Amino acid sequence: MPSAALPLQFILTGLLALAGGVGWLVAEPKLLTEYHYNPRIIALTHLIVLGWLCSAVMGAMYQLVPVALETELYSKRLARWQFVFHFAGFAGMVWAFRVWNMKQVGQFGSLMAVGVGLFVFNIARTLLRAPKRNVIATAIASALGWFSVTVLAGLSIAVGKCAYESLDQTAPVSAVGGVLGGLQAVGGFMSHCNILSAMHAHAHLGVIGLFTMLIVGVSYKLVPMFTLSEVQSARRAMASVLLLNVGLVGAVISILLGSPWKFLFAIVIIVGLGVYGWEIAAIVRARKRAALDWGVKGFLSAVGLLAPLSLLAAVLAWPGLPSNVFTGQLENLYGFLGLFGFVTLAILGMLHKIIPFLVWLNTYSWRVGRIQVPALADLYSARLQGASYWLWLSGLAAAGAGILFQHEPAVRLGAVALGASLTLSAANLVRVLSHLVHPVLKPFPTRAK
Amino acid sequence: MKVMTDPVLTEAAVLEVLRQVIDPELGCNIVDLGLVYSVAISGQNVRVEMTLTTPGCPMQQSIASGVQNAVLGMEAVADAEVEIVFDPPWHPGMMTEAGRAMTGVF
Repeated sequence: MPSAALPLQFILTGLLALAGGVGWLVAEPKLLTEYHYNPRIIALTHLIVLGWLCSAVMGAMYQLVPVALETELYSKRLARWQFVFHFAGFAGMVWAFRVWNMKQVGQFGSLMAVGVGLFVFNIARTLLRAPKRNVIATAIASALGWFSVTVLAGLSIAVGKCAYESLDQTAPVSAVGGVLGGLQAVGGFMSHCNILSAMHAHAHLGVIGLFTMLIVGVSYKLVPMFTLSEVQSARRAMASVLLLNVGLVGAVISILLGSPWKFLFAIVIIVGLGVYGWEIAAIVRARKRAALDWGVKGFLSAVGLLAPLSLLAAVLAWPGLPSNVFTGQLENLYGFLGLFGFVTLAILGMLHKIIPFLVWLNTYSWRVGRIQVPALADLYSARLQGASYWLWLSGLAAAGAGILFQHEPAVRLGAVALGASLTLSAANLVRVLSHLVHPVLKPFPTRAK
Repeated sequence: MKVMTDPVLTEAAVLEVLRQVIDPELGCNIVDLGLVYSVAISGQNVRVEMTLTTPGCPMQQSIASGVQNAVLGMEAVADAEVEIVFDPPWHPGMMTEAGRAMTGVF
């Protein structure tokens, strides 16, 4: 019997972190109405990015990558160890950011990096087993590469803010001395970079390189599967992945150097996202299944949010943009819509499909043909899913307006709507998970034996 | 398509039993979905050739073992073999009217 425990432990950890993050926003809406370079907002961002998004993505990938590539996961044991490093790493990092202790950010970040290394190795070995080299494998391989670069960039920023006074007390020829010397060299290099530019480059590496790339790649398998359709143009799909990769290389370098070329590379990324949206629209138009369920609707709404996000990105990348309070709020809106809008909505949409599937696989898979088992749609309430979807969109709209106009009550109202949406999702989740304990089984109406 | 040696064990009887196996994503049995390509009967052995709505379907193992369980549950069956093929690929034209009504597929 296949086990749902491994992906579920990552996903449930992620959902708890998301609930924590939304609760934090309800308590402190001011976080989004002031400039984002402060310990609390950086701690909150890492709670969302590492605690929620990375956990959910890792859990989903352990389940989905083998499915998407028609192969087996390389090692479940490595994945279980990775969870330990991941959990300790991200929880410690959030706390260290909150108290603004960059040395401990680096230490917990290193723990997290070990976990990321195990994850990348495990998924990369799984990719090598895959019988096909296609756009999905290319996107996943790209995302793994960007994930590694993102973590190294984050650690470099932390190192750049630390002083390694212990270096003088360690023999330079020893292994420890060598590592510390290397860290000091990285710190020296990073100290020449603008810290805000480095932070923005790091954020784009993670959000576009890891999350967007994964969403793009995996959706080329899942959207056709859930809508009974197929990829309409393999060349168009591959072009979207290549444009994202090329655009991101240029964007990260130009952001880091403060170069006006970042506008051009932003446009390359936007064109890549446009090509992606074009292909997804073509897939959905060619579908054989008339009705779209809430999971797919949520995912497609996330893809739709790429349009306002692209517009914001183009404005923010414009070389002549004045640096003032309103620009800062536009940056906050961009980050909020990117994380809570596009990436979160896309992942929540997919989780509406993935969690019932995991529970069904664990509870009912081995009983098929022996006794009457429920369909996936029988495991959850579609009405609760619909209400949760609309509350999430309302929350995004209210908080988004509050961020733009620095209106704390609107941000709080939006966060409350996001929390209400999560509460309904949690009620649905309990309903789904209850099948693990209390399977709903009925005898067949008639049996041949 | 089939060799019938046992008057009790017929293609129709096997297909009827296979209606107890559902594709959980679509909420419809595999016969009305048009996933069953052929049923071959040889003595007490049954061989089912079938497909899935998409290659790499995560339900492949569940559905295949479900078909085997269902067929082995028939009184006259001693052995059941299931082969998943993707040629010809499945398309909605293979569904029955009942299947279309159940799934909303057009």
